[in-house]
Amino acid sequence: MTPPRGEVLQGTLDLIVLKTLDALGPLHGYGIAQRIQQVSEDLLKLNQGTLYPALLRLEQRGWISSKWGTSDNNRKAKYYSLTRSGRKQLATEAESWERMAGVIARLLGAEGA
Amino acid sequence: MSRLRAFGARLFGLFRKRRGDEDLDAELRTHLQLLMEKNIRRGMTADEAQRAALQEFGGLEQIKEVYREQRGLAFFDSLTQDLRFAARMFRKKPAFTAVAVLTLAVGIGSSSAVFSVVDRILFRGLPYPDEDRLVSFGLLAPIERDEFMLGASYVDFRKEPGPFEAITSMAPGSTACDVTEQSPVRLSCVLVEQTFLPTLGIEAILGRNFTKEEDRPKGPRVALLSYALWKSRFAGDPLILRKTISLNGSPVQIIGVLPANFEMPTLDRADVLLPLTLDEEDQHRSEPGRVLRTFARMKQGMGVAQAIAGLQPFFEQALQGAPPEFRKEIHLSVRTLRDRQVEDARAASWLLMGSVLAFLLVACTNVANLLLARAASRHRELAVRAALGAPRSRLVRQVLTESLLLGLMGCVLACAVAQMLIRLFVSIAPGGIPHLEDARLDLRVFSFTLGTALVSAVFFGLAPALQCPAPNLLIGRDVRATARNFLRQALVAAQIALSLILLGGAGLLLRSLWNLENTRVGIQTESVLTETISLGQYRYPKLEQQLAFFTELEARLKRLPGVTSVAVSDSLPPSGPMRSTIFAAIEVPGRPLLNQGTGGMVGWRAVTPDYFFDLGIPIIQGRGFQEQDRLPTENTIIISERLARELFPNANPLGQQLRLFRTQGPWRKVVGIAADVKNNGLARDADPEFYLPWKNDPVESLSTAHLLVRTRINANAVASWMRAETNGLDSTLPVKIEAMSQRVSKLAARPRFNAILLSFFAGMGVLLAAIGMYGVVGFIIAQQTREIGVRMALGAMPSGILKMILSSVARWTISGAALGLLGAWASSRLLESLLFQVRAHDPILLGLALFLLLAVAFFAALIPARRAMRVDPMVALRYE
Repeated sequence: MTPPRGEVLQGTLDLIVLKTLDALGPLHGYGIAQRIQQVSEDLLKLNQGTLYPALLRLEQRGWISSKWGTSDNNRKAKYYSLTRSGRKQLATEAESWERMAGVIARLLGAEGA
Repeated sequence: MSRLRAFGARLFGLFRKRRGDEDLDAELRTHLQLLMEKNIRRGMTADEAQRAALQEFGGLEQIKEVYREQRGLAFFDSLTQDLRFAARMFRKKPAFTAVAVLTLAVGIGSSSAVFSVVDRILFRGLPYPDEDRLVSFGLLAPIERDEFMLGASYVDFRKEPGPFEAITSMAPGSTACDVTEQSPVRLSCVLVEQTFLPTLGIEAILGRNFTKEEDRPKGPRVALLSYALWKSRFAGDPLILRKTISLNGSPVQIIGVLPANFEMPTLDRADVLLPLTLDEEDQHRSEPGRVLRTFARMKQGMGVAQAIAGLQPFFEQALQGAPPEFRKEIHLSVRTLRDRQVEDARAASWLLMGSVLAFLLVACTNVANLLLARAASRHRELAVRAALGAPRSRLVRQVLTESLLLGLMGCVLACAVAQMLIRLFVSIAPGGIPHLEDARLDLRVFSFTLGTALVSAVFFGLAPALQCPAPNLLIGRDVRATARNFLRQALVAAQIALSLILLGGAGLLLRSLWNLENTRVGIQTESVLTETISLGQYRYPKLEQQLAFFTELEARLKRLPGVTSVAVSDSLPPSGPMRSTIFAAIEVPGRPLLNQGTGGMVGWRAVTPDYFFDLGIPIIQGRGFQEQDRLPTENTIIISERLARELFPNANPLGQQLRLFRTQGPWRKVVGIAADVKNNGLARDADPEFYLPWKNDPVESLSTAHLLVRTRINANAVASWMRAETNGLDSTLPVKIEAMSQRVSKLAARPRFNAILLSFFAGMGVLLAAIGMYGVVGFIIAQQTREIGVRMALGAMPSGILKMILSSVARWTISGAALGLLGAWASSRLLESLLFQVRAHDPILLGLALFLLLAVAFFAALIPARRAMRVDPMVALRYE
């Protein structure tokens, strides 16, 4: 049996997108979606469409920027890339995420003991 | 920061919707195609690939919706939607929209216009810093309606000003002074102490205040100019401080210019401020000294009551020196500047403000009723929207948006209405309403207008908004129709109540006005012209010159064609300044002088013999003055009927002797008794009065005099000849010619203004109430058409139907009227101070108002009700 696929936590998607762009450089929406599924090994249930409002939100906050370009197979696509303030945001969010994850891990570990 | 940025981006997103939509479509299409290609690579057929791609992607339309919401500001988005929808609704029902907007515009516009008039009186701050600490203080005596102090006690008091931080004084009123250089002009000069501007907290915008040296007798002669004078006569010359002007013939150095918004605390006109030059020793020597208007700045945190308490000891001490007959009738008084300025205008202002707000409420109620009627006819539409998933809050918002839009449209039109009304008010308003000429539609009044419009919109929008139907209404009839009818009837009842209050007030004021205009003044005003002339000190410094001028003018006017007779007098009835003395100061042989109290005031005038003929004042006993009475050797007097009664209660006054002014002057012989004449305004009781002959020999200053001209022919023609004659004598004199009837009519101008305005609001209120009544009855009948049809089919007579409808109308009309009666009864008390010879609780007037209102309501209900009688049962039953 495959493990149950988890919903993407609100706010987590932002971090994931930022990290993806940080790792792979400019990408279009499809590329980001593929990357997320590949990395999460299909453990995350993601309606790929929901990516777009998230991308818009990040762009409105100035963390990513977008530009029209052509994809590998010559299609018109919008490419998103990380801005400087996005990089900063990624750092703070990653840090707070790790702290949070650490707390939860300790919590769960203590319970298990 | 990023939040602000996001907000900006979203705001921007509002304006580039189409472009954004296309972009998004392209982006999503690419994504889907890429997904499909991947699926095909995995070996699916094209159909399968597409289905799988869509599945993986999620609901396309939902995503777009979320995206759009994220892109713009959802609130604004749906606001524009609501607005567009509302605008469409209004366009589709132009008659409804026009009526609603017009009603609002008249209501709000009237409120704004009245607000702009009363704002300066009731609300707006006076142009002095910390104005609420400024007071007018001093004594109040029967001869004076405003506070004053006498010089001798003032110079003592200013050394230790008790409860005050600072005090100052000025000479009462303004004096005419003439600029005597090229292009001479008559100015209004005011004498103020050196502490005057600092106490008020005013600084000259150019130059400086007087110094102590300049405020001493025989000090350097200096003057401060008003801003208006600086601009008009000196064209705002920045080098004005180097100039001297020639005032009353001697050079005066200009040392400063007052701010543009400066005004005297007494509201006197002041073109030039001159130092008062009050001398301490001089005032003591001439005990009690000159009369001064005194003002003070209270210490921080002090109230008027504390100031009075603090002044009391000094006041007791100062009173020691007062003439004994005065002592009992003198009071200490401290009033804030605002109180001093607005005096009796305050009650009238609140009255107008209150009545216009009541009128606005009636107007809003009418619009609310209109909206309710429309809400009833569109509940199906709202129900459909509710059924399709619009949350209740969204529907309420839609309805409120519509009423706000109505309110804003009303506001725009209201500005135009207010502008018109303000102009109308200023043109019909009497003099003496403080700052009326400043009333205009400025930012403050506009904010008031906008605020009123928004509050009104919420008020009238609330009723229909709260009645947004639930989705289940879609299935059947509106089960809450009765509840809604109840609300509409209650609104009409409220209108009737408010209108009745307005009508009751208007009735009282009109009745009072009628009394006032039909007061027996005691003079004949027809075909009498008055010419008022004030001679300047500079051109006519000597008494002989003044007398000669008036004698010559009298002679010239007598020669004019169409003139029957000419008289000269130093003052004129029935109002305005007149010389006066106290009753206690008149000595009669065999009667001791009064020592307790003043005995009240006695007015007097100096008149030429034709005075009594010109004004048609009958001489009841004895004779009028003759030419020989004007000789310096003659000592004759004419007394009024009332004075005769009071001086000689048991004797024939004719031929009696009396001595005036506390035994100064000669004994005079009473040669005639004149009928009583109003001399204290129309509303107040007349003072007793006596007349002295206008002498041929100058004994006192006659700088101001009135010429009375009785004409046989068209008064306008005579007036222009009079002007020409006067100019021929001295072309620099300002001349004021007025018909006597006009002078008298002016006295009722303020009550007339109040009565006209209140009647206007009452009339409009009744009209709106009638329209509201008509609308509601018509609506209820339309709703009940089927029921009426059934009744008629079952044999009900048309008259029975009519009775049924009218009796239901009567029920809420009467409850509204009862409420109105209570309100009118309570509010008429507030009118009391404005009434003349009318009781505030006049049952007849109130009954008349009630009758009028009920009659109007009855006919407004009858017109649509008669339509119900003509309902054809067959048509009614087939309906639906």
